[in-house]
Amino acid sequence: MRLPTPADLCWNVKCSPDQEWIERTLRIAVENVWPQALEAAHSRNGHGSHVVEIVESAIEHAVCRLKTGDPLGPEQVTQLLQRLVLQEVRRRRRANGRMVFVGSSDELPPTPVRNPQIQIDCALDLKIILQGEPPDVRLALLLRYSRFRWSEIAAALGTTEAAVRLRCKRAIERIREKQEGEQHES
Amino acid sequence: MIVALSRSSRKDAVTLTEHPFIPFDNEDDSLLFEKLQEHVLAHYPNPERKGCPDPAVLKSLIDNPGDVTLVELNDLHIFKCAECTRLLMELREKKKQS
Repeated sequence: MRLPTPADLCWNVKCSPDQEWIERTLRIAVENVWPQALEAAHSRNGHGSHVVEIVESAIEHAVCRLKTGDPLGPEQVTQLLQRLVLQEVRRRRRANGRMVFVGSSDELPPTPVRNPQIQIDCALDLKIILQGEPPDVRLALLLRYSRFRWSEIAAALGTTEAAVRLRCKRAIERIREKQEGEQHES
Repeated sequence: MIVALSRSSRKDAVTLTEHPFIPFDNEDDSLLFEKLQEHVLAHYPNPERKGCPDPAVLKSLIDNPGDVTLVELNDLHIFKCAECTRLLMELREKKKQS
């Protein structure tokens, strides 16, 4: 992010001639505080896009305090501004309900379905898993599901056990994957 | 490829499977289909028997599996019906005992 000039950030500082030191010391303080403000805003809020608003708000509070006290040097004003910046960052974080926004939803990886009912339907809906399988594979799996042995299924379909198992291999692997996924979810 | 020791449902049959997803299964997939049945019984109740094939068709499936078509079985309906699954298991058990 481009570093704004102190004049950019102190645009609303209006002081009487006898308090001109406030604007002068605040400009130095802003230059000192800016990198830390940017880092604090980024680490606590997840992004630094509001750092200008945060520093401006801190400057406003600083001016209110400095106007009621004795003149301070740049180091003391820097410390005051640092404290006020951190307070403002914390206030904004609380105002956001303690949520931390990191990036956007577009950057999130796809997540597994969390709705338990949808999960069941997606995970082990054999009708969906076996969609597109040829009729002989569907029937063979129905028979295996009905506790027929592979040799009996082969006899019923007029083929060999090895052939029917080979035909069903891919579908069974898909079922296994879904079942394993469901076990991990539950 | 993960090679894991697997157990069959029978105590005397201990085999090795190279499948990475289900480490404990026997080589004829019995455990997989048992788990599927349990899943269907638990998650797909169908007390009104909507879409169920005629019980005679299910009996025929058990007695003469080569004579039944997918159309008669309402395609893969059984995979989403606890009632049909239960009836099939009973019929199969009776068939084994007879």
